[in-house]
Amino acid sequence: MNRAPASQAAHRIALLFNANKVYDREIIAGIGHYLRSTRVAWDLFLEEDFRCRLAGIERFDGDGIVADFDDPAVADALAGCPLPVVAVGSSFEDPAHYPATLPYIATDNRKLVSLAWTHLIGAGLPHLAMYSLPVALENRWAQERERAFAALAQAEGIQAPIYRGLATSAPSWNQAIEQLSAWLHALPQPVGVIAVTDARARHLLQACLMHGIAVPEQVAIIGIDNDPLMRALTRIPLSSVIQGTEEMGKTAAHLLHQMLGGARFPGRRILVPPVGINVLESTRHEPLSSPHVMRARHFIRQYACQGIKTEQVADYVGVSRSSLEEYFRRELHRTVHQEILRHKLDAAKAMLANRDAASAEVAIRCGFTSLQYMYAVFRRELNCTPREYQDSVAPTSANASPASPAAPAASQPPA
Amino acid sequence: MNRIAQLSSEPWGALPGGDACRLYTLRNAQGMKAQISDLGATLVSWHSPDRAGRLAEILLGHDTPAAYYAATTYMGGLIGRWANRIADGRFTLDGIDYTLDRNENGNLLHGGANGFHRAIWQAEDERGTLVLRLESPEGDAGFPGNLSVQVRYTLDDDGALTIEYEALSDAPTPVNLTSHGYFNLSGEAGSDIRGHILTIDADAYLEVDPQMIPLGAADVRGSAFDFRHGAPLGARLEWPNTQLARAGGFDHCYILRPAIQPGNAPAVRTVANVYEPASGRELTVETDQRGLQCYTGNHLEGQPGRHGVPCVRHAGLCLEAGGLPNEINMGTQECDEVVLRPGRAYHQLTQYKVGVRT
Repeated sequence: MNRAPASQAAHRIALLFNANKVYDREIIAGIGHYLRSTRVAWDLFLEEDFRCRLAGIERFDGDGIVADFDDPAVADALAGCPLPVVAVGSSFEDPAHYPATLPYIATDNRKLVSLAWTHLIGAGLPHLAMYSLPVALENRWAQERERAFAALAQAEGIQAPIYRGLATSAPSWNQAIEQLSAWLHALPQPVGVIAVTDARARHLLQACLMHGIAVPEQVAIIGIDNDPLMRALTRIPLSSVIQGTEEMGKTAAHLLHQMLGGARFPGRRILVPPVGINVLESTRHEPLSSPHVMRARHFIRQYACQGIKTEQVADYVGVSRSSLEEYFRRELHRTVHQEILRHKLDAAKAMLANRDAASAEVAIRCGFTSLQYMYAVFRRELNCTPREYQDSVAPTSANASPASPAAPAASQPPA
Repeated sequence: MNRIAQLSSEPWGALPGGDACRLYTLRNAQGMKAQISDLGATLVSWHSPDRAGRLAEILLGHDTPAAYYAATTYMGGLIGRWANRIADGRFTLDGIDYTLDRNENGNLLHGGANGFHRAIWQAEDERGTLVLRLESPEGDAGFPGNLSVQVRYTLDDDGALTIEYEALSDAPTPVNLTSHGYFNLSGEAGSDIRGHILTIDADAYLEVDPQMIPLGAADVRGSAFDFRHGAPLGARLEWPNTQLARAGGFDHCYILRPAIQPGNAPAVRTVANVYEPASGRELTVETDQRGLQCYTGNHLEGQPGRHGVPCVRHAGLCLEAGGLPNEINMGTQECDEVVLRPGRAYHQLTQYKVGVRT
C-alpha cells in the first residue's frame, strides 16, 4: 500500500471552493473528516469568506491544492500548476470534458437523476419533467443532469419535458415565476418534477403556491443537494437527493495525501454516487391511478422478453395476482398476460423489421416459448406470419443495430 | 418477542442425479417472504418491502436446483465445513497432518468442491422455524471427525432473519461456517451495488496475498477499507489501493471488535449496515462471530443469475460472518477457537435484518 512518509512539518494545502454553497461546504467537511480519522495534520488555506479567489494562486507557497473545477476559471488558473492538484466537480458523459492530467472526483450526475427518477416513479407519478437552468459555463452539471434525464425518458419510452427557465435575477423574478407556472400548468398532471438543485426546486414550490397548484397532488417536486436553508425557506418540506459530498471530500483528501507521498494519478476519475434521499412532503404523492399498474408496467417493460409470468409481476409489485389483474382490468382494460404479450410482440416486430435475426432466434430472444407459439400470436394479433410481417416492412438499414449478435436479450430494449 | 413467521413448503425440482429438492417459505406479518432450500440449506430468495411497501427480491440466485448445483458462485449457500480458504489445503492438528480437497489454486475454498452447499439437508418445521440437519462423515473434504450440523432459520415480524448454527464432532476438527447470500437491496434485476452505502464497525481487516490467503491485519484508518462511517461502495471500489486491485474489489475479512459479555460467551452485536437510497431498504447485520468477510461480487460478471440473465460485475454484496480465513494455520492463540473438540459445541448466531430507512 502507498503510505505517505511521516513528515516533520504539516503540509500546506489550499482549498479552492466557493463554500457559500452547501455542496462545497460538505466537501470541505469531508476533507476535515478524513484528516481527523487519519490524524494527518494539514495547514489548510481558505479565504476568510470561504470564497474562491484565483488572483495570486500561482504564487501560493504550499504543497498541494484541492479545487472545485465546476468553475472553468479555476481549471484555467491551475492549468500549469506545478503542485499536486486534486480536482472535484461534475461528472460528464463526454470524457473529453475531464481534465486530462489530474485526478478528478466527480458527483455522479447520472445516479443523482436516476435516484430522483426512481423515487418519483415509486411514488406513483405517471408523468415526469425536469426544471433545469439556462446554459452557462459554470453550471455544466445542470446540462449533465438534463442529459441523464433525457436518457432515462428515452429508455423508458416516455415523454418527459425539460424546462430551463430564466436565470435568477431580481428584476426578472416575477416574470420567471409567471413563465414557470405557465409551463407547469401546461404539463399533464399529476407530474413529478426533478429540479437540478434545491434552489430551483424552491422556485417550483413558489410558483405552485402562488398559482394554487397542489403539491404534491398535482405537482410533486424533488430537488438535489438536501440544502437545510432551502428547507427553512419553503412552506412545504422539500424532498431532495443527498449527494455524496462527504465521500467526495474524503476521496479527494485521500488522493492528495498519497500524492504528497509521491504517488501520481493523472487522469484518474472517481465517480461518487448519491448517499441518500430525504423524503418529505413535496413527494408524498397519493396517486389516483394505481401505482401497482405503473410498477407492474415498469417491470414488464424490462423483462417481458425473458419469459416472465403474471405471478412474477405480481410478486415484484407485492400484491396478489388477483388484485393485480383487477387493477389492470380497471386501468388498462386488459390482463397482465396481454400486457406482457404486447411487449413481446412489439419486440419481435422491431427485431424482424431490423432483420436482426432469423425467426427462430427472434422467438427465443423475445421470450416466446416456441417458434410455433410466436407464429400463432402473429396470426391472431396481426393476421400474418412473422415472415409476411418482415416482408411487409421496409428494411431500416439506417438504424441497423451495431450491437453484437451475441448480446443477451436483456440488453434489447423493448421497442 | 415477536410472533414467529408461517412456514410452508413445496417441491422444487430435482438435481441431475435425480435427488428431489424442496423449497421452504418463511413469511412474516409485513408480507416478507424468505425461501430456503434443503439443497445446501441455501437461502434462495428474500422478498422485502421498499419505502412504499412494495416487495422485491433482494438476493441474487438461480431458478432451479440444477442451476445451484452447477454454479460456482455459492449464491445463498450455507458454507462448510470451512468458509473461505485454508492455504495449501492442509493443516496440522494435535500433531497430525491433514490434507484437504484443493479446489481453488491449490487451496481449499468454501468446504471443497462438494461442500455443504451442495448437500441435501434434512429439513424440519419446528414451530414456524426451519431446522436443517446434515451429517458430514469423517474424511469429508479431508476433515477429521464425524460432524453433525444443525442450522435454524427464523424470520420475525421485524424483518430479522436469524441463522443459528450448531455443530458437534466425535474428533477434533476445524469448523468455520457461514451464509453466502449476495444482497442487492435495490430490488432491480440487472443492477449493481455501487450505489449501496456500507458501514462496517471494524478497525482492522486482513490483507491478502495474490492467492487471497491472509497476510496479516492492517488498520483501516485512512484507507478505502475504512467503513466505520458509511461510504458508497461505488466510490470506494475506485480508490487507488493495492489490496483492492489484487482482489478486483473488496474480498477481505474484517476483524470485528471483541464483544465478550459476562460469563465469557461472545455477545451478539451490530457489526454492519447497508443502505440503498433508491428503495430505502436497509440491511443490518448482527453476529457473535469475530470475522466478517466483505465480498463485492468481483467475479460475478457473466455468471448465471435469475431468469437466465447473467450477472453484472458487483451485482451483489456478501457479508459473511464467521471465523477468520485460514485461521487454522495462523499459529495464533485464537486458532484454537476454530477447533471443535468432542464434548464441546460449535455455535454461531448471525442475524440479517432488513427494513426501510425513511
